[in-house]
Amino acid sequence: MRLTILGGYLGAGKTTWLRHQLFSGALSDAVVLVNEAARTPVDDALLKSVSCVLSGGCACCDGRADMIAALRDLADQKSQGRALAHVVLETSGLADPGAIIAAVQDDPVLVHHVRFDPIRVVVDALHGLAQLRDEPLARRQVASADILTLTKCDSASPVELARLVATLRSLNPDADLGFSELGRDVAPPDLPDARPEVLPHLAEEGPPPVPMRLTVPPGTDWSALSVWLSALLHARGDDLVRVKGVVRTPAGRLLLQTVRRIVQRPEILPEDSAAQDNVLIFIGRGFTHDELERSFARFVLGED
Amino acid sequence: MCNACGFPARPGVWTEAGSETAMDKMRAQLMQGAVINRLLRPYGLMASDGGHVPGIQLSTLTGATTIVDDLPSLWEEVERQLGRPLDPIVAVR
Repeated sequence: MRLTILGGYLGAGKTTWLRHQLFSGALSDAVVLVNEAARTPVDDALLKSVSCVLSGGCACCDGRADMIAALRDLADQKSQGRALAHVVLETSGLADPGAIIAAVQDDPVLVHHVRFDPIRVVVDALHGLAQLRDEPLARRQVASADILTLTKCDSASPVELARLVATLRSLNPDADLGFSELGRDVAPPDLPDARPEVLPHLAEEGPPPVPMRLTVPPGTDWSALSVWLSALLHARGDDLVRVKGVVRTPAGRLLLQTVRRIVQRPEILPEDSAAQDNVLIFIGRGFTHDELERSFARFVLGED
Repeated sequence: MCNACGFPARPGVWTEAGSETAMDKMRAQLMQGAVINRLLRPYGLMASDGGHVPGIQLSTLTGATTIVDDLPSLWEEVERQLGRPLDPIVAVR
C-alpha cells in the first residue's frame, strides 16, 4: 500500500490542501489518517472522509505508537481483502517527516506493506519565511520534502513569494515546487528575480545544511557507491539531512533517497522519466564539497 | 519466514538493490567486500563476505573474528570496536 506523507508547519495549509484534493477527486481512492498534536481534534470536522484521527501526540514522537497501530490495522484490513491501495497521512504541524518514515521502516510488519510516495510538504507563502528564520523544525521539514507546495499564494506579494521561493530552492534545490490557492493547484506566477534570504544560525541546529552536487562518473559500480554511502550515513546521519538522485545500475535506473540515516528502498524508474542520471544531491553540514568528492574518489572509485 | 529460526525474513538491505541476475549479485558481493576493506584498512580491520558462513566476518589483525548479519550491523560493530564511528570523510582530511 502506498503511503503519502503530507507535512508542513503549523497552520501552513495542510488540511485545506487535502480537503480540496479530496473534493476534486484526486485522492478519491485514498484512506486518510490525520494526526494532531493537540488532544482535541479539529481537522476531522473539516475533512469528511477521514478514516482515523490520531490526536494527542505528534506521530513522529509521542503519538508514534498510535500511528504505527493505525497503519498496522490498515495493512491488516488490506491483507484480508479490503481494496486499499493508498493511505494519506496528514502529519501534525510539529512532525518531522523523516522521523515518520524512520518509524514505519523500523516496524517489522509495516516494512513489508508500505511503499512511500514522494513526501509532500506545504509551506505558507505568508509566514513561511519567518518560520524558516526561527524554527529548526520548519527547515527540517523543507529539507526532507520531495514536493514543496506553496499555499496561500494569492495572499503574498510577488516580491515576498519570489524571496521565499529562492530561499526554499537554497535549502532544497531538488524538490518539485508547486503553487496553490485555497488548496487548488495554480500555475506558477511570474516572479521577479530574488536572492535567497540568509537564514540566521540557530543554536539547536549547528551550521545550516548546505546542498552539494556529486557527479557519479558513468560506469561507477552501484555496490561500491552504496557501501560507501551506508558508512557515511552511519557516521554522519545526523548532519546529512538528505541525499537524493538517480543512479544507473545493471537493473535499471535506481532512485536513491535518504532522510538522515533512513534510506528508502531504492525504486527502479522508467527509462523515460525526466530525472537526470548519475547526479546525487547531498544536503548536509560538517564537511565540505571538496572532502565529499575526495572521499568518493578514494573509496568508491579506488583512486589514491 | 526463515524455516530455521522462525523469524520473519528481513526485507534485505537497501544496498542490495540494483542487481538483477545471479551474476550481478555475485559481482555486487565481491565489489561490496572490496570497498568495505578499502574503508576498514586504515583502522587495521578486515572483512570477508561470502563463502560458507552467512553474514559478514569482521576480523582484527590478531585474527579475532566477529560475524555480523549485514552492512548496517557491520558499521555498528566497527563503531563498537573503535569507540567511534568509521567516518569516510575524516579519512581523507
